[in-house]
Amino acid sequence: MFSRRALPALASRRLYSTETPGKPSIKLVAELRKITEVSITKAREALTATNNDVQAAYNWLQDDLVASGAKKAAKLGDRVTQQGLVGVSILSNSDGKAKSGRGVRAAMVEVNCETDFVGRNARFDALVADIAHTAAFIAEAEDSSSFFKSVPLELLQDAPLITREGSQSEAQGTVGSVINDSIARFGERIQLRRAVSVVHTPSVSDIRLRLATYSHGSVGIPTQGQIGTLAVLALRSPKVNELFGKPEFVEDLGKLERSLGRQIVGFPTTKIRSASNEPDDGALYDQEFMMYLAANGERVGRALQQWAQQRGLTSAGEADTGLEVMEFLKWTVGESESS
Amino acid sequence: MLRNQLTASARIASRRLYSTRATQSLFVCARTAVRNPAYSTQWSLLQKYGGVVARRGYADVASTKFSRAKPHMNIGTIGHVDHGKTTLTAAITKVLAEAGGAQFTDYGDIDKAPEERARGITINSAHVEYETANRHYGHIDCPGHADYIKNMITGAAQMDGAIIVVSATDGQMPQTREHLLLARQVGIKKLVVFVNKVDMIADPEMLELVDMEMRDLLSSYNFDGENTPIIMGSALAALEGKTPEIGADKIKELIAACDSWLEMPPRDLDKPFLMPVEDVFSISGRGTVATGRVERGVCNKGDEVEIVGLGSKLKTTLTGIEMFHKELDRGEAGDNMGALLRGIKREQIRRGQVIIAPGSMKAVKKFQAQVYVLTKDEGGRYTPFMENYRPQLFLRTADITVAVSFPEGTPDASEKMIMPGDNVELVLSLVHDVAADVGTRFTLREGGKTIGTGIVTKVLETV
Repeated sequence: MFSRRALPALASRRLYSTETPGKPSIKLVAELRKITEVSITKAREALTATNNDVQAAYNWLQDDLVASGAKKAAKLGDRVTQQGLVGVSILSNSDGKAKSGRGVRAAMVEVNCETDFVGRNARFDALVADIAHTAAFIAEAEDSSSFFKSVPLELLQDAPLITREGSQSEAQGTVGSVINDSIARFGERIQLRRAVSVVHTPSVSDIRLRLATYSHGSVGIPTQGQIGTLAVLALRSPKVNELFGKPEFVEDLGKLERSLGRQIVGFPTTKIRSASNEPDDGALYDQEFMMYLAANGERVGRALQQWAQQRGLTSAGEADTGLEVMEFLKWTVGESESS
Repeated sequence: MLRNQLTASARIASRRLYSTRATQSLFVCARTAVRNPAYSTQWSLLQKYGGVVARRGYADVASTKFSRAKPHMNIGTIGHVDHGKTTLTAAITKVLAEAGGAQFTDYGDIDKAPEERARGITINSAHVEYETANRHYGHIDCPGHADYIKNMITGAAQMDGAIIVVSATDGQMPQTREHLLLARQVGIKKLVVFVNKVDMIADPEMLELVDMEMRDLLSSYNFDGENTPIIMGSALAALEGKTPEIGADKIKELIAACDSWLEMPPRDLDKPFLMPVEDVFSISGRGTVATGRVERGVCNKGDEVEIVGLGSKLKTTLTGIEMFHKELDRGEAGDNMGALLRGIKREQIRRGQVIIAPGSMKAVKKFQAQVYVLTKDEGGRYTPFMENYRPQLFLRTADITVAVSFPEGTPDASEKMIMPGDNVELVLSLVHDVAADVGTRFTLREGGKTIGTGIVTKVLETV
């Protein structure tokens, strides 16, 4: 691979080159394709335009892919995209010990493509993860009644892509241009369908927020799949900061959160509590907590109370303490727009 | 065999006319599945199809009779959406129609991938049939990975080979890897590659590159990259009847490559004998008779056979074969027969066991399988399940409780959830052993509901 840093120096070599442009050899096209996975026609064009200089062609492609991707995107504009991934990125999950670490910051995005062949590809997987990461990064805290705030797609498209730590992706530019770049490579319509973020730090010191998430049907990166959920949990207790200092408490909480995530995804959950007094299958608190073995067949609402008591979050006589699911979102790839 | 009839019934021109009927009969089959789901559904399904075709034959004078003279094979096209899979399929039917081996099916008629139900499961796929000088082909095209997997699991149209379609202008694309992985996963051992749109390439050297890269990629996915036929042509030219040297001639070359390179799966008759035991009788003065439908192979009176499964393994001799209350010397795949077994008491043999050619199969206690979990619309579960779920396994005539777990090395297996609609690789541990092989199909049931259907991919523990 070529390291990005070395490129500008090498690219400038082209300026002194006096060679006449020749036909690009198969070897060079193959080499360029190995690095970039672009189409043969494109690779050849890049080499012709840059005098058969692989490094320069690489740079040429970076710009051109975005442009040709945009063109291709316009051409494929009316194709149906029902496949793809829902990706979740959690940047901070109330895991700091200090006061500033009590908040949460995360995002969930859905990116669609035409076939599940592309949906299963590692490059697409990485693309979705980077977009989710970017969405979580650029989100701003806002005072509103809801924890979730939908991210305007134009804003996200124009934001520079912030790749994940340790990401191998060489993608750069705005989210929109990176999507266009992928369209050029895959030859399929790829569409950023929706995005939400949650950024919140509680103002009271005895409350901590947590995020529970689960993605079903992941192929590569476990935080993204065919169905994804993001739920905001609130823990309130005078002892909450002390409890968060205990590793076993945090570990237990993680287990409970993962179970809650599976419960929301696996069952037809549409709301947290039943609107009336009647038990409701779609109400999370009324469902039997089948995804948490320690619940012993209790309903979710009751199981959460018990959990809070057993872990010392609530003690007798204390009002307004314990663990609550505040809000959640559940997205399925390709579902009709409503949720 | 009967599978041919299935394909015969899938004749594109006439299929839509009776499609509702076929769906109905599938529901009927789904119900018979309660008794012996694993094989009877498949067979009775085929019979129903066959029946419908026969009846239609009287109404439609123009329809030709399906000949079984040529061996049948199912192939599929896999490739990127814009690389011309459908055009190629249309071109094949056109070129072969000129030779009398197909009915020309136009682009618009193929590119629909209608929803179908096979064993109660919804699959999107388009079918075309055609024949060459040596073979009869059923040609399948599905829009996505999941549909091909469902096809494999249900056995609706098991692909024996595939044509990978790649455009010369693009070469292989990132998702070509996924196409080859899929081919591996559905058990395809040999492929043919068609490089399409060569007329759009000015520099023939670039075709060498496509060839070279494709062979590299094939080898890296354990296909025979060196010898796999790669044919370069233009499906559109063939379809429009232009420039035969890259059009029709190349299609003929492609068909010839399929004929010679793709291997025929062994016919049921050529496989070792196997009859699942459906019922057992004791006939005074004669001995014990086991009845069932021969799944594959041939048996002769006096042959040594083995009774395998449900904890026992007995050797005996077939002293008599009976069908329609008449004695026979030979039974073969498809026959509903009674087998008179020497020296076997009635208590020694039970429904769920199989009678096989000695040593041809082993009883297994644990295997890995690719399973499709039915959605609630398909009659499956409403809720997800996790490890240690214990449904009933119906495999041929056997009905055994199994415990579900994940293959070794699955991360966070204890927290993994399976939802209706999922395709998953599972490990099934059986309470009793049963005769099974890689490729044996089965269903999983719970409380009168079919919750999943699967195919054995790896035997982990034999008795």
